[in-house]
Amino acid sequence: MSKLLLAERIDKSFGRTPVLRGVTLAVSKSEAVGLFGPNGAGKTMLANVLSGLIPPDRGRILFEGNDITRLPMDARFRAGLTRTFQIPCPYPGLSVLESVRVALLCAEPGGGGGGVPRDIEGEIESVLLRTGLFAQRFWPAAKLSQGCMRRLEFARAISCRPKLVLLDELFSGLSVKDEAELAELLRSLRRDDGISFLLISHNPPLLAEMCDRVVAIEAGRVTWEGRSADLPGYLAVATGHVHGGQDR
Amino acid sequence: MTGALALGSGLLLFLPLAGLNPFLLDLLTSGFFLASYVGSWDIVGGVAGQISLGHALFFGTATYSCALLTSLAGWPFAAAAGAALLLSTGVAAVVGTMSARLKGPFVAVLTLALGEIAHEIMLGQTFFSPRGTYSWGGEGGVPVTLPWEAPSPWAMYYGALLFLFLSTWGMTALARSKEGLIWTAISGSELTARASGVDVTRHKWLAFLVAGFFAGAAGVGFAAHVGRATTSDFSLELSFQAATFAAIGGRGTIVGPVLAALVLHALFQGAGIAPAARVILYALALLLVLRFFPAGVAGTLREKLRARKMVSGREGR
Repeated sequence: MSKLLLAERIDKSFGRTPVLRGVTLAVSKSEAVGLFGPNGAGKTMLANVLSGLIPPDRGRILFEGNDITRLPMDARFRAGLTRTFQIPCPYPGLSVLESVRVALLCAEPGGGGGGVPRDIEGEIESVLLRTGLFAQRFWPAAKLSQGCMRRLEFARAISCRPKLVLLDELFSGLSVKDEAELAELLRSLRRDDGISFLLISHNPPLLAEMCDRVVAIEAGRVTWEGRSADLPGYLAVATGHVHGGQDR
Repeated sequence: MTGALALGSGLLLFLPLAGLNPFLLDLLTSGFFLASYVGSWDIVGGVAGQISLGHALFFGTATYSCALLTSLAGWPFAAAAGAALLLSTGVAAVVGTMSARLKGPFVAVLTLALGEIAHEIMLGQTFFSPRGTYSWGGEGGVPVTLPWEAPSPWAMYYGALLFLFLSTWGMTALARSKEGLIWTAISGSELTARASGVDVTRHKWLAFLVAGFFAGAAGVGFAAHVGRATTSDFSLELSFQAATFAAIGGRGTIVGPVLAALVLHALFQGAGIAPAARVILYALALLLVLRFFPAGVAGTLREKLRARKMVSGREGR
């Protein structure tokens, strides 16, 4: 599979505190990659760097072969690299429908985002139907439930028909029903639209189920990378090491 | 709401026929320009959420440009008015460029500082008439040479009222346009807007540009009505008035701030209250309104309307 996203030797520090240390990560077309690690490992920081929210100190990021290291977040969205946030910040003055409309208006027509169709209203309706938000389309975005707010984040991120979506803890705090529906939506988007995902999560069974590969990071370094089926094995060894260390 | 607006508009249309005295006609005429100026603040401060505390800079640029170009450079008023509009929009473009990368209180502090710098410069500046006969400037300001001798108060009233209708319609249409939607998104969450592909810096700059244009247009009209540009056109009080009236009327609604400015200006100026006491009354009005209408009068009504539409399943902005 050809590389859609390639982040090479990414370093990021705040003062003297290194947060990312030489992280290299690749995502291929139509691939789902999981990013796993404990709290404070640097998962969200890596998503921030990859999405253009925070620039790296060193290293480079290639998207479809183009260097996007210094490209701002909005330009990456238009290029087809979108993201969701762990803590959604909905627009207080806009409805669900308007929130999605903003994203569609700003996606470049026929640009790197896969080509936005001219029928924006039809596309909004389709996105809302797919994400299960059609019934709440006139609700103020800020008054949605936690589950619906995450669906809205997802709807916003997939509205421009991106090539790669970074999903930061999309499934955390969701009900079983919401989780199952979103997981199914993710699968269908991969299968039907060929969208790639980088799924950040604490949840090993979910990553094993949803992803082709998993990358584990700890203290800002990649500590393991392999097939998602091998994740339980890695975890058993890693946990064993921890326990062994504690025993000693 | 639409009925109330139609009633208000009808009242304003037929008020002069009821035999208003020239003082009240003059008061309302200047009130129309002030209301339009407050509406222009609402584009950048309400819809786009960039709290500008130096908005009088754009208004004052327009009035002084009209005055200096007609009285000193001898330009015809129409040409000076066009140039004044361009200049105020240009100043807004510069302020927008400087503040578009800033957020929240930093925007307020920067615009406040720029507005005050312009005010202080104009206070200390003296201009000499072409033959050196007169010196103008300082607090007294600069006269505007108008193409008419003594305009009819009725003509000025209806001209200003037409200007208020047209500018309010234009600003409301902009606030409801796609650009207005993007401004509202930026106002709500810059982070989410950026993650939705919005070039936040460019759209914030554009909001300043549009607001500067409308404030400049109000300034040109005001200069034509008053016949003089004074330093109070640049004053902090005028900038604060815009923000206060907008908060009372309902930020981001355009019509709310326009109506609040018109009503409060007519009430407090008409009652002949001294400027210092007016400031206290404005503050009191702001406190009272925010206590009972947290989003301003029109803002709270709009929220209730939206909640009703949400239940009935219809779209409405």
